Amino acid sequence: MDTIVSLFLIFIGAALINNFVLHYFVGICPFIGVSRRVDLAFGMGCAVTFVIGIAATLSWTLTFYILRPEAPLSAWLWNSMGADPTTVVDLSILSYIAYIFVIASSVQFVEMYVKKFFPSLHRSFGVFLPLISTNCAILFACLEIMKNLQGGDQLWGLHHALALSLGGGVGFTIAIVIMAGLREELELCDVPKALKGPGIALLVAGILAMAFMGFTGVDRGVADAIRTLTQH
Amino acid sequence: MASSSPSPAERFIAGILPENPIYRQLLGMCPTLAVTNSLKPALTMAAATAFVLLCANISISLIRPLLKPHLRILIFTLTIATFVTIADRVLAAYLYEMSKQLGPYVPLIIVNCIIISRCEACSSKQPLPHAVADAVGMGIGFALALSSLAFVRELLGMGSLFGYQVLPSSWPNWGILVLPPGAFLTLGVLLGAVNAWTARRKARVQSN
Amino acid sequence: MDNTLITILLSAGILLVIAVLMALILGWANIAFHVPTDPKVAAVNEILPGANCGGCGFVGCSEYAEAVANGKAAATLCGPGGQDAANRIAETLGLDLGQTWPFKAVVHCSAKREQRLKQTPYFGEQSCAAANLVPGIQGCVYGCLGYGDCQDVCEYGAIDMVDGLAIIDVDKCTGCRACEKACPRGIITMIPFKTEEVLVVTCSNKDKGVLVKDVCTVGCIGCSACTKPADGLIEMVNDLPVVNYDKDSSGIDLHKSIEKCPRESLMFIGLHKDKKKAQGEPERIEANFATTVDQTEWRG
Repeated sequence: MDTIVSLFLIFIGAALINNFVLHYFVGICPFIGVSRRVDLAFGMGCAVTFVIGIAATLSWTLTFYILRPEAPLSAWLWNSMGADPTTVVDLSILSYIAYIFVIASSVQFVEMYVKKFFPSLHRSFGVFLPLISTNCAILFACLEIMKNLQGGDQLWGLHHALALSLGGGVGFTIAIVIMAGLREELELCDVPKALKGPGIALLVAGILAMAFMGFTGVDRGVADAIRTLTQH
Repeated sequence: MASSSPSPAERFIAGILPENPIYRQLLGMCPTLAVTNSLKPALTMAAATAFVLLCANISISLIRPLLKPHLRILIFTLTIATFVTIADRVLAAYLYEMSKQLGPYVPLIIVNCIIISRCEACSSKQPLPHAVADAVGMGIGFALALSSLAFVRELLGMGSLFGYQVLPSSWPNWGILVLPPGAFLTLGVLLGAVNAWTARRKARVQSN
Repeated sequence: MDNTLITILLSAGILLVIAVLMALILGWANIAFHVPTDPKVAAVNEILPGANCGGCGFVGCSEYAEAVANGKAAATLCGPGGQDAANRIAETLGLDLGQTWPFKAVVHCSAKREQRLKQTPYFGEQSCAAANLVPGIQGCVYGCLGYGDCQDVCEYGAIDMVDGLAIIDVDKCTGCRACEKACPRGIITMIPFKTEEVLVVTCSNKDKGVLVKDVCTVGCIGCSACTKPADGLIEMVNDLPVVNYDKDSSGIDLHKSIEKCPRESLMFIGLHKDKKKAQGEPERIEANFATTVDQTEWRG
């Protein structure tokens, strides 16, 4: 029960309360660049969610078994190579490079797979896939997972990592689709010349961020509600 | 840019305002919005990015002959990742509080569009002096943009600069500016201001 | 072994293993997921400008490249690429092009705002698409509204609104057809520029002459005076002259048709206006007072 509640809270937290785009400012470049039409924006959002799930799985596996302090595989290698047994193996210095490897390769793999087996899907959002490999949102999700695997108690399992990353992806999709809808409306408005394009998009994003601030505290409220409900 | 490639000096000047990475090219927005709550983290982030940009440009310019076309983005990213790891560890060692405040945004320099686009557009095609001038110019431009944003947000949002109280305590702090929406709003307004100023300058030059 | 050394070896080793693993997986995927692509399609795609303007009628440059490489579309449809792209595509694919001409946009209206009659003041949305929905906004229901929808959509800066009339600079026009789609009255069409100057009918009013006179001071009244000097090149359809661009126009002096027109419904629209001005127009003859005065012999 507790796990499900915590998974739900992580998901909602990443999607709405600490929205990746509007609270953590990751994934701004596609947010401003690709959000001109709702269908394109939705395609981008789906692509990001898909890739973020895959990248999170791979990076969690990598971090849990090799990169974190006292990881099983590296500890075994460490000891078998005759290192000082009182010191702890910590290969987290390799994290950034390893994550980039994993993200770039998985994006490439997904692109090839989609091109072969879903050509119509590839036609609609295949063009976004190379853009995603340098998307901050994916690396940010991996970094958050790494933060929660740093040591001691409450290490995140794969389910937590997936909840965070898919929540982040869904939040990104929500934000970018709302933004695209707003920008489609903005096309008909009389925007001052200096603010045309990214200027007005940023101002509108600011107001949207203010709206999303209204979700603050929802996770605590929901957690308290569930706790009181399950106590009876 | 011009069809004949610009000289190192021209690239250096171009990076500061005419092709300012944030106000004109609109790249690298993620750290711009995230760390400009106040001036200290903004300048630290600008210094870290400039360091990574310089090192990456130099390395890529030196290994130019070895770059294969379909692998080049991966090579850029891995080189940048190495230098970002170095910068991150140095920050954690010598400026621990600042490193904690900047949090996950230092590793996000890896996917900062500015660095990748400079590697792609400039240092993978130009010899060393051009690459260095470009990196220094863009770095200064980035620092200027970040500090302009942070200046407004910290001054009006907290009444201080660099942590020192500048405005009198009667100033009602515009709290929204130090929160995420404030970043978007400030950047939007400043972008509009820069565009208006550039347009006015262009009109004046044309009418002369 | 020393801890540092082990760390270095372990780091290098793990990165190497990850790299090799990824290389193997991607290498396998490259073969297993291989989609056979025509090298011709890639070659044509390289030639195209990549603007994805849609002027060729396909969704993007890659779609058009595929169609051309498979022989399903003509090689000459790319507006922004122009004749140059068409030639290079023909060379790459081994096609014989035949004669091709650039298609440029022209506006079939010549009435400036003061020449339009029966206008009503309009304070609504300043867009042709919106204004077109208002009955009675101006007398002529066929002609240019002048709120600049075409100018807004032109990415090449080729359209200017002068006194409420859209004027297209054919030198800047790339033939992408965006303005043709944007005009709610459909009075912008694409004309082949076989010669440097092409005769264009600059009126779209299909009503009879008496009705046209009520709504416009320069619109076509259907008098057919232009058809006689044109030797079959111009036909009257619906009280409006229509130029047959497929016919050979050499040997016919179309300036006479323009002279015969009592209104302003025919016009020559030409490429390289500036060059023509530099070569063709006579220079202003300045009075040279020195010669007329000093060389006159005074006879006291």
